Amino acid sequence: MTAQGSISFVVGEEKKLTDVLSESDVLPLLKSVVGAGLDLAAIVDMTGEPLWFFVPGETAPGAMLPLGTALECRPIILSGDIVGRVHLSAGEGIDPALLRFLARVVGDAVNSMVQTNLKRMMVTELHTKVVQMSYDELLEKNRQLSASEQKYRELAEHLEMRVQERTAELKQAYARMLQQEKMASVGQLAAGMAHEINNPLSFVLSNLETLEKYVRRLSEHAGFCEGQLRQSGSDDLAGRVEDRRREQKIDFILDDLSDLFSQSLAGAERVKKIVSDLRGFSHIDEAEYSQLDVNIEIDRTLSVLSSEIPADAEITREFGAIPLIVCRGALLCQAFLNIIRNALQAKPSGLKLLIRTAMNSKDHITVVFKDNGPGIAQDIQARIFEPFFTTHEVGSGMGMGLKVVYDAVSSCGGTVTVNSREDHGAVFVITLPVNGRTDE
Amino acid sequence: MIHYDTEAGIMVIKLVYYGPALSGKTTNLLRLHDLLPCSGRGDLMVLDTAQERTIYFDLLPFFITAPSGLKIKVKVFTVPGQVKHDATRKAVLQRADGVAFIADSQVRESLNNATSFENLEQNLALVGLDPGRLPLVIQYNKRDLPGIVAEDAIRSLWWSSGVPLFFASALEAWGVVETFQCLLRTTYAALDATCCLSARHGLSMEAFTCGLTVPDASPGMRER
Repeated sequence: MTAQGSISFVVGEEKKLTDVLSESDVLPLLKSVVGAGLDLAAIVDMTGEPLWFFVPGETAPGAMLPLGTALECRPIILSGDIVGRVHLSAGEGIDPALLRFLARVVGDAVNSMVQTNLKRMMVTELHTKVVQMSYDELLEKNRQLSASEQKYRELAEHLEMRVQERTAELKQAYARMLQQEKMASVGQLAAGMAHEINNPLSFVLSNLETLEKYVRRLSEHAGFCEGQLRQSGSDDLAGRVEDRRREQKIDFILDDLSDLFSQSLAGAERVKKIVSDLRGFSHIDEAEYSQLDVNIEIDRTLSVLSSEIPADAEITREFGAIPLIVCRGALLCQAFLNIIRNALQAKPSGLKLLIRTAMNSKDHITVVFKDNGPGIAQDIQARIFEPFFTTHEVGSGMGMGLKVVYDAVSSCGGTVTVNSREDHGAVFVITLPVNGRTDE
Repeated sequence: MIHYDTEAGIMVIKLVYYGPALSGKTTNLLRLHDLLPCSGRGDLMVLDTAQERTIYFDLLPFFITAPSGLKIKVKVFTVPGQVKHDATRKAVLQRADGVAFIADSQVRESLNNATSFENLEQNLALVGLDPGRLPLVIQYNKRDLPGIVAEDAIRSLWWSSGVPLFFASALEAWGVVETFQCLLRTTYAALDATCCLSARHGLSMEAFTCGLTVPDASPGMRER
């Protein structure tokens, strides 16, 4: 039995005569047999102690056995065991045959009563037992059901959490994808434009050089003609040419022409460089992984950004001697660009940005970006690499910039950390392995 | 054990006849009642039945007194075999000292035998008895019928378990006493280990078994 306070039976447990018989069962029987002229009718246990008895007239407790001289006993059997006796006694006058007969009748009656009562008790006990066990089983089942309900409830709650986690992951992945697509299309656009610009630019350049040559020859020729004219002695004609030359400011034009040519050539060369930087920055012509010089990549990035860099910004480059590293160039340039752009946005005027590259260990390099901007508050430093985290106003930024830095550096096998105090600028440190292939 | 009181010198042992419905558990007890002399046992008590099917249990008590004066009462119970009376089976099985599994030899009853034996193992575990250690004998009953599983097949089925195996026809009254005697022996062995029946009470296995099943083997041992 597990439940408290329940009745406990073991089927087959030993019974005493007093368990099976009760006074109300036997007294009427004893009373009626005494009515037949006996001195005493009793049921005694194995030690001879009376359990129940009846005597005619007044009951006098104690020392009533044996009362009569004639005595007759019959055993009482409880599940095969003799557990007591029916005890009848009478005076001398009684017929012994009658006494024996009465004893047998009472004995049989008591025994059959014992038998019936025992069966009834055993059935009752069994019933109680079975009911109790079923009840206990139900309790146990109930407990198990409650436990499993609890489990499912927890599962359901966790499910909600899991769904939320997954949704956030999906959102991140989607945003990253958007960003990458944007970058890819910017890269393609840049590459396409670079190609379109390169063609006319190259003939502009070569034509400019030829034109310079032609102009030099033309002016030489004009000088030759004038010389010949002076020597011919025709002063009048020479004077007219001289006047015309002065009128047309030919001397000034000839002087200015070389400046114009050199300035145009320099301008065209600059356009060429910008286009090539744009191509280099987008790494559109390269395989995903390539060997690259981080110092050159930073220069390229700076030149791509040149239009955004205000005149008063002071960018110091302290480039150390670092080996070529193997990584995804486009991603890395994007990372540099985002950090520099962040610094430019953080301090629109009077920015001092130090970019330092150095060997960190045998197979790692570090790139440090240190600015004099407003810095990053302590409580949000842990969150700045999270997607959609932004301190800009809604609509002015997605909050993906530093997330892209984080992903780009991670995908090159490197790490990025920030160290900043409010009003004391921010320092971003990117550590990159010399061989940053992560997909092998 | 139902009851063991060294002060009063009483020991009450419970043996249970288990098995599928209609395999002859009650018939086994009826035959034991008929075959063994009434001096060493009480009457067979058959509780209410429904259409001759046991719904509660039957009980046949046996008695023996050890030389030390310890009175030993062996109560042999049957359980109802029908599946629906599982709670009753469990209740009767509680604190059993030994089990005789009465199987039905008929081929078509093989599945019922297996199910019932599985049920026995489950219920033993549920009432806190170890099926691997409880004294157990198996009797294949109804050997008098046609369409029965061959003895060799049954032997090879049970051979690895090491459980004593008997073939019987309770209806023709053979194999019944042998099954009971074996159950008494294995039960004695288990009880002797815990209650020192031979060392403390001077009761040997043969005296125990014969005293309960053969009337004249050890006169004076019985109570009545």
